[in-house]
Amino acid sequence: MRRAKFCINSMWLGTVLAVLCGLATAQQALDLEGHAVNPFAAASGKPVVLIFLRRDCPVSGRYAPVIQKISNEYANRATFWLVYPDKTDSPQEIRKSVADYGYHLPVLRDPEHALVKLSRVQITPEVAVFDRDRQLIYDGRIDDWYIDLSRARPAPTTHELRDAITAATAARTTLAQKEVRGVGCYISDVE
Amino acid sequence: MSFPLRSILLVLLSSTLAPMLPAQSSGPASQLTFNRDIAPIVFRSCSTCHRPGEAAPFSLLNYSDVKKHARQIADVVRSRTMPPWLPEPQELKFADELRLSDADMNRIVTWVEQGAVEGAPADLPPAPRFVQGWRLGQPDLVLKAEKPLILPPEGTDTYWNFIFRLPIQQTKWVKAVEIRPGDKQYVHHANILVDRAHASRQRETDPGAGFGGMEIRIESQVFDPDSHLLFWKPGTIPYVEPEGMALRLDKGTDLVLNTHLQPSGKPEVIQPSIGLYFTDHPATKLPMLLQLENDLKLDIPPGEKDFLVTDDFTLPVDVDLMAIYPHAHYLGKDIQAQATFPDGTKKTLIHIPQWNLNWQAVYRYAEPVLLPRGTTISLRFSYDNSVENPMNPNHPPLRVKGGNRSTDEMCHLWLQVLPVNFDAANGDPRMVLQEALARHNVEKNPADFEAHYNLGAMLQARGNLDAALAEYQAAVKLRPDDATGNNALGAALVQGGHPAQAVSYLQAALKARADYFDAHYNLGFALAQQDDFAGAVEQFQAALRLQPQDAAVEANLGAALAEMGRYADARAHFQHALLLDPTQPIAKENLEALKEMNPR
Repeated sequence: MRRAKFCINSMWLGTVLAVLCGLATAQQALDLEGHAVNPFAAASGKPVVLIFLRRDCPVSGRYAPVIQKISNEYANRATFWLVYPDKTDSPQEIRKSVADYGYHLPVLRDPEHALVKLSRVQITPEVAVFDRDRQLIYDGRIDDWYIDLSRARPAPTTHELRDAITAATAARTTLAQKEVRGVGCYISDVE
Repeated sequence: MSFPLRSILLVLLSSTLAPMLPAQSSGPASQLTFNRDIAPIVFRSCSTCHRPGEAAPFSLLNYSDVKKHARQIADVVRSRTMPPWLPEPQELKFADELRLSDADMNRIVTWVEQGAVEGAPADLPPAPRFVQGWRLGQPDLVLKAEKPLILPPEGTDTYWNFIFRLPIQQTKWVKAVEIRPGDKQYVHHANILVDRAHASRQRETDPGAGFGGMEIRIESQVFDPDSHLLFWKPGTIPYVEPEGMALRLDKGTDLVLNTHLQPSGKPEVIQPSIGLYFTDHPATKLPMLLQLENDLKLDIPPGEKDFLVTDDFTLPVDVDLMAIYPHAHYLGKDIQAQATFPDGTKKTLIHIPQWNLNWQAVYRYAEPVLLPRGTTISLRFSYDNSVENPMNPNHPPLRVKGGNRSTDEMCHLWLQVLPVNFDAANGDPRMVLQEALARHNVEKNPADFEAHYNLGAMLQARGNLDAALAEYQAAVKLRPDDATGNNALGAALVQGGHPAQAVSYLQAALKARADYFDAHYNLGFALAQQDDFAGAVEQFQAALRLQPQDAAVEANLGAALAEMGRYADARAHFQHALLLDPTQPIAKENLEALKEMNPR
């Protein structure tokens, strides 16, 4: 009953609830000019990797070189997007942060958490990897570098994002784990 | 038409929120609000660092700031990651303790579980007010690192040392130091060392740029023990020394700021500054730093989960313990220090059950702790070199020994102590402490070069030259090519009236370090005592090239020249010595002698 009511009200609330209601068509994320963008439309048959970041999250920041390394390495095999889910972030603030960290990746704002919900991510930085069929095959941490918010390993010992991209680009490789939560900042805190 | 729909929407929203309210929590948990219950805790325990320009990565100054990190805050206060405070609660209280009380911690967690409600505006306490800029007002002297360090965006933690050359012309007494480590977000901690002999400058390849290295040691020529812990970590409030405990800084002294930096993901420019606050009152109370350590016992096999290292030192004099600073690297696990009083009672001085190098700190006691003579201070550090220690720098684990690199391990405990209840007629109690400590170290490890060296220095200072010579000989035997050891042995032999024996050691010192001022000076002196004045002149000239402003070398050079009959040259050097230091006694006396000999 409640679910149905939700859907009726989704008309009022916009696209957020549309996703919850299973209408997986409208991922109304916005580019920095404010235009709605569907990150899957431009993927031309390649797997899609969404990387969720918060500007005010130090762990997101420290991962920038890792994210750039992996996205460079797999640039021909997958399409990468940076996704900022904090609706209070202005496009200007995001643009500055992206420039400060030297990213050369396309950027989306996700103020209504359409992509967050589709991707099931909870923390920044976390990633979602979709295969060519738009199936979510992995969501969660990039690797196990961070142990908790005050401790990081000298180097990661697992590489979930690389493994997931490899699985998504291979014919039908199964992943050991489809979901491993990351260490960082909660996305639900900026709902 | 729209009215009914809006009201439905409101009802729906509140009903979706309902499960988050504390219906399930047992007991009569009342609704906590930010304004009434949480803001006082946040303002007191978080906002000091979580505000613009400070070390924390985001601000926590108002409801919306805190709401944006609510779940994260609940997690980190529950795990006691925040506020950062490693020691367990204990009887001997620390000053400025950051640890949250259990009640405050539970309040935050419950508030977040209840949905992080803002509450009534009238309940909100006034926003905290912070001093902008220098915390203690404009310092008497501000020093900025000559050249910034560009911290690369990635890689492992960086340890960098900035040298501050003091532009003071006379001795100053410092009552407080404020360290501004540059961009505080990327500096984990910083530590000032006093370098009275420019020992660190030699390590700069680009003058003014500083040098890398996690642990540095600074050699001191005279008995001048380190006495103050000048430490910065995020949230540090500059510490004003108690009455009478000022730090002495002389003309020509360098301050070395040792920093631990963490890459942020983008390049960062780090250019620290230091603010010094002077006092007109010279120090009347002279504390010193006691170091317990046992690095030579650090030989930790791979896979070892609980490798224990201990050291026990019994105090030869009464002291007030002011502060404590334990130090280990990434394998450190359980860090403890205990005092066993002469009557057998034991008190914990510090206990850190889960060591974390990233949050190392100096801990000052709320009140000085009296440790009477005969009290034994015991260090017990354990180390985890297994794969289960996620901070292990080696993967898979390797054998780890004591050393200065961050991948080596350390077992150090520094205690700032102030000798009390002593009779000044019996000499400086710090020397008694230092000698006892050096003797303890020699007994603990007969192969410890530094222990023999330090014990020799203490014995020499106390006038026990024969015993000092034996210790220096033991030191040189352990490190035959060490410049410092050979120089000390040579100098002691000269002092003992054996200049001929001294020469070979002093030459060995200069072979190890050609630009060693002290060794040139001492060799010049030894040669002069054997009437080799030409050789002496050569050595004094070499010393003078290294330190052209040294009046004593000028005077000795003049004396050697006079012995050779080169009176005009000698006179010029005596005069220059007196220009540098109008009270230089040798120059004065010799100049008089020259006048009498040759009135011209």
